[in-house]
Formats: sequence, structure tokens, C-alpha cells
Amino acid sequence: MGRLFPMITIDRLTKDYGSFRALDEVSFVCQPGRVTGFLGPNGAGKTTTMRVLVGLTPATSGSVTIGGLDYHQIPNPGRHVGVLLDASAQHAGRTGREILGIAAQTMGLPAARVDQMLEMVSLERSEANRRLRNYSLGMKQRLGIAHALLGDPSVLILDEPANGLDPAGIRWMRDLLKGYADRGGTVLLSSHLLNEVELIADELVLIGHGRIVAQGDKQTLLASSKGAATTLVTALDNDALKGALTAAGISVTAAGAGLRVEATPEQTSRVALDARLVLTDLRSGAAGLEDLFLDLTSDSQRDVLDQGASA
Amino acid sequence: MSATTAPPTLDVSGTPQVPMTRLAAVEMRKALDTRAGRWFAGSILGLVLVVCLIVAMAIPDADKDFGLFLQIAGGVLGYFLPILIIMLVTSEASQRNGLVTFTLEPKRSRVVQAKFIAGVLLALGVMVLAAVVAVIGTLFATVLGASPEWSIDGHLVFNGFILANIIGIFVGFAIAMLLMNTPGAIVGYFAYSLILPIAAGLLSALSQTMHDVIPWIEFNTAQTPLFSGDYQPTGEEWAQIAVSGTIWLIIPLTFGIMRLLRIEFK
Repeated sequence: MGRLFPMITIDRLTKDYGSFRALDEVSFVCQPGRVTGFLGPNGAGKTTTMRVLVGLTPATSGSVTIGGLDYHQIPNPGRHVGVLLDASAQHAGRTGREILGIAAQTMGLPAARVDQMLEMVSLERSEANRRLRNYSLGMKQRLGIAHALLGDPSVLILDEPANGLDPAGIRWMRDLLKGYADRGGTVLLSSHLLNEVELIADELVLIGHGRIVAQGDKQTLLASSKGAATTLVTALDNDALKGALTAAGISVTAAGAGLRVEATPEQTSRVALDARLVLTDLRSGAAGLEDLFLDLTSDSQRDVLDQGASA
Repeated sequence: MSATTAPPTLDVSGTPQVPMTRLAAVEMRKALDTRAGRWFAGSILGLVLVVCLIVAMAIPDADKDFGLFLQIAGGVLGYFLPILIIMLVTSEASQRNGLVTFTLEPKRSRVVQAKFIAGVLLALGVMVLAAVVAVIGTLFATVLGASPEWSIDGHLVFNGFILANIIGIFVGFAIAMLLMNTPGAIVGYFAYSLILPIAAGLLSALSQTMHDVIPWIEFNTAQTPLFSGDYQPTGEEWAQIAVSGTIWLIIPLTFGIMRLLRIEFK
């Protein structure tokens, strides 16, 4: 960190609804050129944070700024900050084209920009002329992305943008957002689906129960995830490998066709090399982002997980 | 890192605030770009036409004057024009597009202003068309053999047609902003404009005291002199309009605006 200054700064943001604390001293930043994934279970406070960021919900305390400005201070904000909070939050009786047309008119953009955006998100002419109530969730998301990008903003704030997209759509969105960030744009996107964010985001911010539970880039987060290193290994002679490892003082358990070893892949490989054993499979058994996510937010998960209980 | 590297900021010098004329134009577009909005505006005019044609056929030739047709057109608008305004305001919450409206213009008071301007302009537009329909009704009466009086009383035009309808749409605004729900606001508006005056009339008939008090507290009753008699309220009648208008228009409008400025659009 520190190599870049942040574009979005959220500083000790707290939001109370009566006695319920929806956000508790939330602080994080989003940097230009990076896609920041905002990850947490449903009801953790992702949407509330984003709503405060774009001035729809007042904060109880703390501050949020975009490019050093309060959202209300940004003149014609659609030209600077692209926002997609809920792709369904549009008049159901308007056509997709009309929805973009209204926004383009508000922002003072030429009508040709609407066609350009429709093409960019691959909405066909006939689809664009359909009313929103006849759109699938995936089409609404594409329209919402077009709406957010309409004013050629330098910051994108997207709430669950991949929701309802098929795998090809998620890949399309990943390429789109990566390209956008590579051109210097700042992206903050939320999701409750890990593999989605894992694919798209460079930086991760994990939230649970209105509190930030972890943040950093993927590697840092994975490296810092608690628990000793584990390795999954399979040898031609598993019993011999198990013996060698146990002799080296490393604990081993059987796992599927191979062994789970409480050591790094390097240590495991050295033991095998010394014992002249042939390995057919060797890989890190480190907890993936999913385990990390469940672990970090376990006390805020709605469903009690067996895994969490036995950990 | 060099000390000269500044934190990234948004260069907002090239994007002036969205002008009010554009916001108002957008609001007018939003009032008419849905089937509901277009059909409703069209239906109001259609209804004015039907009522004018029926009147032209039904009443004695001697009464078929342009003034009467204009009065009828104004009366029909008075009931339905506020609904158009109610839909324009409440759709922000009922259809949830407020999320977009208020992120593209986060200064909500400017959106409220734009809606007021758009609402009044729309209402004036519909009034002009309704006046044209009244002309058609009068011409139809001529075809049927009447010789209508074309000259009209200026007080009728201003008090009975324009002022009464402008008051109506502002009441629509107030109810819409207070309830922020399309069906609720429409029901509320009809309760105010249809049920309340009937109740007031019944109470007036019961006692003289009630009869004297009602025009001071019931806005519909107070407005009657605007579109009946010589269309010129007396000093006392203007005072009644002011007092009941404070109760039924100024206070709800104030609370409505305060609510719209604060409500969390979900």
C-alpha cells in the first residue's frame, strides 16, 4: 500500500438505524487503477456503505469522499461517478433506451452516446426498445452497467453487478472492469459471492456485521489467513511417504487418494526427495478465499456452518 | 514517492451543475414517457371532449356559451390533473427510480424545484389543450343550431380555470410528497376532493354554525367562489381561501417537501 493515493476514502463511517448499528467505524480506501471488491454476507452493510458514498443515506458519523469531495459537492456527478445500486430500481414501464436517454439528457450528453453504450453492453436494438418489466435480471444488469458508464466517469460504484449474470456475462464484466481500471479508473464493487469477486477484484475488503474484518490484496489476505500451511500430496507409495514424513516429525492424515500434510509443499517435497519417492501430485492445501471468507465472517453468518462449528 | 505527487482528485471544472431548465425538461419527459403518463394525459383530454360534447347535446341552446364549456373543461381538469402530478412525484419511490434521480442530482431541493416547474408547465399545456376542446364543444353546439356567446369573463379564465387548477396540482404535490406512494396518494387525493366536500356539505346542512365555519376550514368549499357565480370571490371569501388553503395546502406542502428532502430512497 502507499504506492498510490486513494480516490475513494471512507473514514470511520458509522450508521445507526435507531439502536441498530448498521455500520461500525468502517474505514477503507479504493485506489485508481484497481478494482476493489467489497465482500460480505447479506445484510453486512455493503449496500449501506455505498448508499452513504453517493449521498442517498446520511452518515451518523465519519466521512466519505470521492476524489477529495463530498458527493453532494460534485457538480453533474454522473459525469464523474458511475453508480449502479440496484438494476431493478427503474420505472418498469420505460424502455431500456428511454432509461438511458433520460440519464443522458440529465447529464447533458448527446443522444448518440445512448446507442454507443447499448452496443457496448451488447443489448440489441429490439431488447433496448423493450420495457424494463420484460427484462431478465442479466439484461437489467447490463443496462445498469451501461447507465453507470454513460457519463464516462472516472469512478465506478457497483452494488452486486454480477448478480444474475451467466458465467459468460461474469467473464465479460471482469474484462470490462479490468480494462476500465487499467485505463486509470477506480472501481468499487460489492458481492456476496466469493468466486465472483476473486475473479474480478485486485483488492478485497471483507465486511461482516457492519465491521471491516479484513482488507488487502488477495495474496496478502491468503498469506495472512490463520492456520499452519497444509499440503495435499500423492505418491506412488503413499505409505512410504507417510512413514518418511512422520519420521521427520510432520503430522500426516489420509485425504482421498493422497495425504494431507501439515507442512509447506516445499518441505513435503524435500522429504520425498530425501526418501527417493516419486510424487504424482503435489499442491498447496492452503485455505482458499472461501475458507478465509467463512472464517472471517463466521460470527456474522446467518446459517450455522458445521465447518465453522468444528473449526 | 516525490512530495509533489498529489492525491487524485476529480477535475470538476469542466462539468457545471446541471441547469434547472434541463432538470425541468427531464421531469416533463418523465411525466409523459411511460404508457401510464401518456395515456393518462390523453384520457383527461378525451374525457373533457366527451363531457363537452354531451353537454352540447343535452342543454338548452340558450345556455351553450363558450364560457360554460370552458368552465366544464376546467372542472374536469380540476379532478384529474393533480393525478398526473401525483404520478410524477410518487414514481420516484413507487417505481424506485428515485435512486437514479437523486444520484444524478444529489441536491434534492433542485429536483423538487424541477418537478414543480415541470408540473406547472404540464398543467398549463393541458389547460391550453382543454381550452381548445372547449372551443370544439362550442363549435359543435353551433352545428347543433345554437348561437353561442363567444366572449368570456376574464375572471372565469383566471380564477375559475387557471388559478383553481394550479391550486389543485399543488394539493396533488403536497399529498404525493407526504405519502410517497402512487395508489395511496391517488386515493388520498380523491378523499380530499370528493368525499371531504360532501361531508362538509352534510355538516353545513345540519347547523348554521357549521355552515359559517366550514368555508374557513374546508378548502374545496372555500374555492367554490372561484368557479361559480361571477368568479370573483369577495374579500371574506378570499380570506377563507387563504385560511383553509393554509390548512390543506401550505402546511401539507411544507411537511411534504421536508419529507422528500429527508426520505431514504430504497
